[in-house]
This record gives sequence, structure tokens and C-alpha cells, in this order.
Amino acid sequence: MPRVMRTPRTIEIDITNRCNLRCEYCYHFSSEGDVASDLPTDEWLAFFDELGRSSVMEVTLGGGEPFVREDITELIDGIVRNRMRYSVLSNGTLITEDQAAFLAGTRRCNHIQVSIDGSAPEVHESCRGAGTFRRAVHAIEVLQAHGVPVAVRVTVHHRNVRDLPNIARFLLDDLGLPSFSTNAASYLGLCRDHSAGIALTVEDRVLAMTTLESLNERYGGRIQAAAGPLAEVRMWREMVRKTAEGSAMGDCAGGCLSSCGGVFSKLAVRADGVYIPCTLLPGTVLGRITVDDLADLWSNHPELERLRTRQTLPLAGFEECGGCDYIPYCRGGCPGLSYTLTGSPYRPSPDACLRRFLRESGLGPGSFLAGNGVTP
Amino acid sequence: MPSACRIVANPSTVFREELDDWALLFNPDTGAVYGLNPVGAFIRKNMDGRHSVRDFADLVTEHFEDVSPEVEKEVSAFVEELVEKGFAEYRES
Repeated sequence: MPRVMRTPRTIEIDITNRCNLRCEYCYHFSSEGDVASDLPTDEWLAFFDELGRSSVMEVTLGGGEPFVREDITELIDGIVRNRMRYSVLSNGTLITEDQAAFLAGTRRCNHIQVSIDGSAPEVHESCRGAGTFRRAVHAIEVLQAHGVPVAVRVTVHHRNVRDLPNIARFLLDDLGLPSFSTNAASYLGLCRDHSAGIALTVEDRVLAMTTLESLNERYGGRIQAAAGPLAEVRMWREMVRKTAEGSAMGDCAGGCLSSCGGVFSKLAVRADGVYIPCTLLPGTVLGRITVDDLADLWSNHPELERLRTRQTLPLAGFEECGGCDYIPYCRGGCPGLSYTLTGSPYRPSPDACLRRFLRESGLGPGSFLAGNGVTP
Repeated sequence: MPSACRIVANPSTVFREELDDWALLFNPDTGAVYGLNPVGAFIRKNMDGRHSVRDFADLVTEHFEDVSPEVEKEVSAFVEELVEKGFAEYRES
């Protein structure tokens, strides 16, 4: 098991619980991270001072919509003053010319991530609400004009999966972005209430995999994914190939719940100042900022220690994994998604199960490996 | 640079002590991160504007075993690299 550094390198913060939108698949609202109130400016600034003293290197601000906060520039100044870099996860609709100029002036911005889900208003707004497309695109253009790094995230769902070629063209050709990343609407937060009309069906998932692979080839690797269909197809093809060959997985430790290494380098904070292991595990309360000492909590909290040993739990010990040929190559998926689907982060996520995907899609391992049968 | 020159760490950069006396140097303006071995981390911790390359060489010899006879030359190269990368600066004594 990796050893734990003295303090986290990155802190992910829900800097507000407020948002001007209610995207139908939002992972935050209706989750345990959907808390009653935001913290005042002073409390966040005191926390950033502690992060500076603890040599934390990077802060990611999410929420909620960070640009809802009237004090957002003051908060970012506090991050910069404490020698950290920052990223902001935004829907883009509130970013103004002045804010873009301010962000550029800090010289510490890793990126502003703006969500774009369609190549045109009717697709983008199908989950995000009327009037959001033009404003998000305007934000990208304003940030680009000021030289602020922009990272666009496309969340693939039932209503935009057929628009992916247009989205790629729009983002990479028309807007000239160097790349964009993708994930998928997952069974988290509000998506749990609208899952039937939004989550990818198995047919959608196959289509998304095929389309994104093909687009990524066409665009020279400019489409990225740490989760969602593109990440899955890459990982699952490798698992099928390794299983057929009977070869080792290389440096990817399979056979245990080893998929997530976040708890070895990152910590998260809810909008009410409560420390949590990850924004996808908002119900796991670890302590409170400016009350509990960061370094002590990071090194000694029993729940963090338990989450770090998660990666030693063998998949063979889970009934649902019984008899699965892919166990030596499987890593069990996202603990946060596992928690919402099974009630425990200490189980494999059903959503990450290759055997289940092959069974439901009707694809044999051979055709999946060859890319046959995954054409739309 | 004369070896009597004092060296001071750039206060706008971050020194992160990690496991087993290793460390990271982080420049928040550029995002650049460099790993330091225990000797490098030890020198960086002493960059308080009161020590010269020669002092560092003496300190390293005192604190570590099997130190190279070329220690002053090696420390000088290390310091020069940190200065070049903006993690430290020379201060006239």
C-alpha cells in the first residue's frame, strides 16, 4: 500500500452550496453534500492560511457554482496569497469579462472548467436549462481572450450521446480548444431522481464508447477521460485482452478495490466546512476546518485510514464477483458511486462491472476486443 | 558565484517535506515541481540567508555519512540549479 504524505497535496472544496442552475444529473444536489449554509469569507480565508502553512499545493473550487459567491475574487486572492494554485469547476454562466481579467492576473490558475453538454442550445440545455448554452460559450471565449486556461467537461448522457461528433467539432474546431474531457451522468445526486431519462442505457453506452474512440482517433488524442465511456472502453478492452492472454496487468494493481488513490493525496471540504474524503463521499464526516488540525486529521483519522486500506480488499471475497474471469484485472470502480449504488464504499461498484456490461450489451469478449459489434 | 555568497530561499515558492526526509519544491507561479533527496532537502531547509555554499558543504559533511570529497562542488551545482529555477537567490554577504 502506498505510504501517506504528511499533508494532502490537493484540497477539493465545495466553496458554496448555492447554484443558479439545477442540472438534472447534478451529483451534488440532493446528496449528503447538499448542506444548509455556506461559510463566511473570513472562515475560508483562515482555512486557506492553514493550507498555506501545511504546504498544500492546489485547491479546486466547486460546489454549487463558485461564481455565485460575491466574494469569489477575495477567496481566490486568499488562495494565491498562500502560495497555492487553483482550479474552478463552473457552469460558465456567471463568468464576466472582469472576472476573466482577474483570473488571468492571478497567474496561478490551473484551469477554469466549464461544462458543455451539446453543440447547440437544444442539446446542451436539455439537462441544464434554457439560456445556459450561449452564456457558457461566452465564458469560454472570454476566458480564452484573457489567456486563462479553459478545460471543458462534457458529461455524456442519454440526450446528448448522438451529438458527440458535433460537440467534438464545435469544441475542437470551432472554439479551438486544445482538448476536452468526458465523463457520464452517474447515479449520484439529482441523477438518481431522473435516471430513467438521462443515464446512459447499455445501447447508449456502447454508442458512446464507439463514437468517442473514433473521434479521439480522428482528433489525435485530444479527448480525455478519467471516467465514463471513453475511460471504460480503454480499460475494459485491456482487461479482455489480458484475460485472453493470461498476462499480468502491468502496473495497474488488479484483483482488489484499488481503483481510487485519491485518499493518498487529496482531501475534500463541504460547503459547511466539514472535512470529507471526497466530494463523492459527502456523508463521511471527518471533522471541521479551522477546528480540527489538518495534518493531524490527514495522518490519523480512522476513517481515512480505513479508506486507504480499501485497496487491499480482494474482489474474490465479494459474492457478486464470484467466478468472474476478470478479477485479476479489475479494480472495483469508484468508491463514491459504489456507495450510492450499494450503500458502502467498501464494495465493488456494479456500474464498473465488465462482466455485467458484456452480459447486458450482448457483446462477447471477442467482438468487444476487436471493436466488432460496438458500432452504432 | 563566490562560494562565500549567502543563499536565501525564494519565499514565494513552497517547500513540502514528504516521507523519509525527501521533499518537493513547488513554484506556484509556474506549477513546476521538483523532488529533492534528503541531502537536497536538508540544504533547502538551511537556505535562510545566513549560509553560503561552503557552509552547506560543511553542514552536509557533519550530518551525512559517506559524503563525497567533491561535496562543495556538488552543493554549488545544486544551489546554482535552484537559483536558475527561481527557488533561491544569492545574497551578497
